[in-house]
Amino acid sequence: MASALVVSHLKKDYGSVHAVKDLSFDVLEGEIFGLIGPNGAGKTTTLECVLGLNTLDSGSIYVCGFDLLQKPDAGKELIGAQLQNSQLPDTMTPRQALKLCGAFYKTRGDVNQLIERFQLNEKADTNFASLSGGQKQRLSLALAFVNNPKLVILDEPTVGLDPKARKELHELIAEQRKRGVTIIFTTHYLEEARSLCDRIALIARGSIIAIDTPEALIAKSKVMVKIKLRTSAPVLGERLSELNHVLSIVRKDDLNCIIETSSVNKTITALTSYLDTQGIELVDLQIIRPTLDDVFKTLVNAEGSED
Amino acid sequence: MVKAFFYHLQLSLKLNFKSKQPLIYGYLVPIFFLIAFGAVFRNGNPPLIHQMSQLITISALGGACFGMPTALVSERERGWWRRYRLFPRGLLPLLASTLVARFILIASAAGLQVVLAHIFYGTPFPIHPIHFVVAYCAVAFAFLTMGLVIAAVAKDVPAVQALGQCIFMPLIMIGGVGVPLLVLPTWAQKVATFLPGKYACEALQSGFTSDGHGAVFRLNILVLFVMGVCAAIVGTKLFRWGQSDRRTINTRLWVIVTLLPWITVGIFALKTDRWHPLAETPVDEAMAITEAQMSQISYDNLPPDDGTVTPVAAPNADLPQEASARLDLIRSKLDEWTPGHTKNAAQAIRYLLCVAAVADVNEDQIEGNIAQVVFEHIQDSFTPAEVEHGLAWVALYPASGVVVTSVPELKIQGDFYEQTIRVRTQIYAVKFIGRVRHRLAN
Repeated sequence: MASALVVSHLKKDYGSVHAVKDLSFDVLEGEIFGLIGPNGAGKTTTLECVLGLNTLDSGSIYVCGFDLLQKPDAGKELIGAQLQNSQLPDTMTPRQALKLCGAFYKTRGDVNQLIERFQLNEKADTNFASLSGGQKQRLSLALAFVNNPKLVILDEPTVGLDPKARKELHELIAEQRKRGVTIIFTTHYLEEARSLCDRIALIARGSIIAIDTPEALIAKSKVMVKIKLRTSAPVLGERLSELNHVLSIVRKDDLNCIIETSSVNKTITALTSYLDTQGIELVDLQIIRPTLDDVFKTLVNAEGSED
Repeated sequence: MVKAFFYHLQLSLKLNFKSKQPLIYGYLVPIFFLIAFGAVFRNGNPPLIHQMSQLITISALGGACFGMPTALVSERERGWWRRYRLFPRGLLPLLASTLVARFILIASAAGLQVVLAHIFYGTPFPIHPIHFVVAYCAVAFAFLTMGLVIAAVAKDVPAVQALGQCIFMPLIMIGGVGVPLLVLPTWAQKVATFLPGKYACEALQSGFTSDGHGAVFRLNILVLFVMGVCAAIVGTKLFRWGQSDRRTINTRLWVIVTLLPWITVGIFALKTDRWHPLAETPVDEAMAITEAQMSQISYDNLPPDDGTVTPVAAPNADLPQEASARLDLIRSKLDEWTPGHTKNAAQAIRYLLCVAAVADVNEDQIEGNIAQVVFEHIQDSFTPAEVEHGLAWVALYPASGVVVTSVPELKIQGDFYEQTIRVRTQIYAVKFIGRVRHRLAN
């Protein structure tokens, strides 16, 4: 599969601050690609360089084969973007904004279809100031698709939205992928990235610390599954640690503890059989799988300790 | 690019008319200035004729220093221009349409001022429309590009107000825009040569009067054009798409480039002794009368030529010998009559019409013949344009100028009320212009 975006050895400094240090990644056509990182990690600077909103100190960026430094306008024709903190003038309507933005591109989508697709029918001719937060965000998303782009960049598209609006936006993003559009987006919500992205790049301190599918990242991170249990009577800690594949135990009190294991099935089988022999009832049992959050914390901490 | 230019232009205009604030600043404030100037200068002759250039410059300056940069910076603060930056080939059509939209707004405000001044104060429309249009385009170009520099330099909307005032107030107070240069002290007149307001007012004034034409006009236009080009280059160079954009070039250095033509022109004017303000030549109200005004003169309900009021005898009508000799005397005395040789042709014609009017009110035996002699004398003594404009002036402005109420030196008796003479001169003027324009039989 061809690459929709290739970023090579991107560097950007703000005075003595190294915002982006030798960053390289590529995004395949039709992928949803997540850029995840804490504030100040360099996500927005990276995206701004791709969008032409910022100049790069060194490196190269190719969009669908076009060198963005050599042919910026050709690249811009292919990119759509939803920006953080980009508000329309209060009296402009969504329809006017879509028509205006479309007028700058050689290829442009049908405004009525965009209004339909992003559920703006009822508010298409209403002043921007009268739109709700969700409607404004949907309009911002629609503006990113106004030129029928091959690559769409969404900068924290769900920030500030309520859960219902966020869910609607997830559905819209997923729908765009079905149309073959490559999407890159940044988010603070790691589980959002896990559910939407084909691949994720974790960025910290201006560098990529890991890049892979969400599952592979979790697997690579070596963060173990945990079993949280509650028993009817106290169980001796030493007996639990002798069970199959148990790596560590954290006791909360006599009846509650968390077991870290390298094999959930084998540990649970051993645990239930041991409790049977002791006549102790298992009151509650929960399997806690590692989240992207855990992976991220682990990798960032590891990167920090290496520094 | 063309489609983007036109759609952005159309949308900018539409949005402007959707908000109250731009309407207030764009139209109500210029009207307020018109009323304020009207209150002071309404008794001018014609009213406000020497103030129209100042009024129009003030509204152009307001739109350029405050209106356009405020709108630009406010949109930039909202991050909307950051989105524009994503567009391929976006800067040129966006800046061009922003400038053209603002030009249309300030030009329409100027048009409104001219029309309202004409309706409420009787200020004549520009008598040199081409001069006026060329001057207005140059003034708008110089000021709007200056607004572009303000928008680029200002951090936020309050900064636009502060920077705008830094240009607006000096131009108003000592730049010849608010206070006429003629009433300012010499030092202020010299300082004004460094500011664009003087050149703007002089260039626009040439549309309304005969002042500042020829080389002066060409120089004023050149100065405004060069100022506009420099400001356009600097405004584009310093242009910022977003509030947080960092500049890679030295802002102060580029602002100096904007001011370079101001300084150069000022020094040139001082060195070549061209700093003196244009003298206000009294406007020839008669020559300012347009063809449209002349065509509005009505020839209906005029007293008949053979009646008792304002009679006019046929040319070469037979007269008894004594009356004929007296008419010859009047004819010869008219040739030497001093008021008839007044430098201002229209005023001279008004005086001559007074001769016919006095004879008429006095019910002179040969009143109709005297009127005919006066008419022939007017035609022989002035150019056709002077005759038409002079007669039209008396017909349209009976209360203007000076009249004589008695002419004993021409051997015509009687001394009458000024108002009576003015009414009769007006009727004679209409009868004569009707003949000149072939609307009435001779």
